[in-house]
Amino acid sequence: MGRPLLLRAALWRALALALWAVVLLQSGLDGRLDLLLRSIFHPLVSAAGVVLLALAVLQVLVALQGGRGGGRAPAESRREQRRDTGLSLVTATIAVALIVRPPNPSFADLASQRPGDDTTSDTLSFVLPPAQRSLTDWVRLLRSQPDPQLYAGDPVRISGFVLPVPGEPPQLARLLVRCCLADATPVGLPVRWTAGQPLPKADQWLAIEGRMAVERSRGADRGGERVGHRGGDEGSEQLVVVPERIKPIPRPARPLEP
Amino acid sequence: MLLALAQAQSASDPVETVRIQAMAIDLPVRLNTAWALFQGLLLEALPFLLIGVLIASLARWLSPGGAWLRRLPAHPIGGPLSGAALGFALPACECGNVPVARRLLVGGAPVGTALGFLFAAPVLNPIVIASTWAAFPDQPWLLLARPLGAVLVALALALLLRLLPEAELLRADLLEERRLNQPLASVSLLERRSGVIGLPADTPLAAPALGPADSEASSWREVLRHGSREFLNLALLLVAGCALAALVQAFLPRQWLLAVGGAPTLSILALMALSLVLSVCSSVDAFLALGFAGQITPGALLAFLLLGPVIDIKLVGLLGLLFKPRGLLLTTAGAGLAVLLIGQWINLWRL
Repeated sequence: MGRPLLLRAALWRALALALWAVVLLQSGLDGRLDLLLRSIFHPLVSAAGVVLLALAVLQVLVALQGGRGGGRAPAESRREQRRDTGLSLVTATIAVALIVRPPNPSFADLASQRPGDDTTSDTLSFVLPPAQRSLTDWVRLLRSQPDPQLYAGDPVRISGFVLPVPGEPPQLARLLVRCCLADATPVGLPVRWTAGQPLPKADQWLAIEGRMAVERSRGADRGGERVGHRGGDEGSEQLVVVPERIKPIPRPARPLEP
Repeated sequence: MLLALAQAQSASDPVETVRIQAMAIDLPVRLNTAWALFQGLLLEALPFLLIGVLIASLARWLSPGGAWLRRLPAHPIGGPLSGAALGFALPACECGNVPVARRLLVGGAPVGTALGFLFAAPVLNPIVIASTWAAFPDQPWLLLARPLGAVLVALALALLLRLLPEAELLRADLLEERRLNQPLASVSLLERRSGVIGLPADTPLAAPALGPADSEASSWREVLRHGSREFLNLALLLVAGCALAALVQAFLPRQWLLAVGGAPTLSILALMALSLVLSVCSSVDAFLALGFAGQITPGALLAFLLLGPVIDIKLVGLLGLLFKPRGLLLTTAGAGLAVLLIGQWINLWRL
């Protein structure tokens, strides 16, 4: 007493599983994972996609055989089947939404909701020459050796996005993730933007070449993240990047740093 | 020098402009960010959900049953502990767990042991510990505190629920099936509806007693059907949980979160409420906690990770397969109290 193919719940389950498999596999291929997850989890996501795809294929086989061999699912009442199909369709719709609408987060917006990163890193095993240090390397170095005078005059070549800071000129920043975007925390370096020029727009990615300089900060207590910052309540010293060349760049393929 | 930098509108006081930009919430931008957060959480959690469902399906396939269930210890403390230890053998998150616990009860396992399994196994298993570690590699104390806390909660609940007689705790249909599998000597004649008088206590009665559900269990198609449906069902809950978490992260003013999250007791209560509402599986809840972890007390973080696996909105429906309303109420109250106490204690220790 085979039901028409399209009425078999197994077929719709197969469709839903296949779409979820596409979500997982596609996000590995189109660089979405680079934007959202720390790289060590990427193989896990792709593997889960492969498993889901295999399950979907099995479900199609079951659906095709569904009419024959009967007796298999007497317990599966018609109402249960309908409920099942509904569930499959709802989840399939969500999967389609995920496929057609890739994420486009504003890092500056995300960072404005987060406290600055304050973990001391143990990954900095040796110190690179100044011109090779990434923005994150600089922040970590300043955290372990906070005296700004040590670095005055060092050449700097870094890239990051523009992060507006309340009450201050924007910083050049990066997001650090331990797991995924949900736990991203910003780290930033103050930049002495060229006087008279308009300030860069939030979220713009920039590559900056220049030198480190020590600057007296503006005294007022602003709370939040301050690296390379020394001194008491007034006239404390702060390390700033003095750019010689600023180049707008597109968002890098792997914008997150571990 | 400054090439093609985007313009800030007001040149008069650029600092002020930026400050205002930073404070204002640009709705489309914020929605985009929430969408990305949602996808990040979902993509991170789905593989762990899949692993959990696969293992639960496997356990269903090789479904436990038989006389050994009745030989599990019935000691008031040893029972729940051995039940909790079963979690390592049958790793599944709480949704896969309820059917397994039901099977244990129906198969004649001591109530305390089955409860220990039901409440502790969702946390006390390798998958959950692995995902907790993946989410919080920088907080090793959590890897110890979470399983330990889960065992304490399970123990407290098992001891608490002992106070209710079986007939008031468990559902009638479950009890009926259960009596078929208990040694007849332990069931009074009045409680019996069927059974063969005079059988030796160890006669395996499992096959007829477990009914149609189990004769199906051996078919791979049945396991596939059940597993796929379970995955889609739980994926839907996960989607809802991730969406809520992403929206809370993106839209709840940070000052609120900080104000609530910094208060020792209030933060624990808030996160307990959140875990009730979110209803995500124990194998993935650690990822959802990530977004808040920076702003809340450690006790609140642990409370979130402990309460969700024992009771939440989704589980009320599932636990209804086992307990009468009274048992469910007692479970909720007991779990809430135990988790609150553990959270407070952690805050005393860590803050």
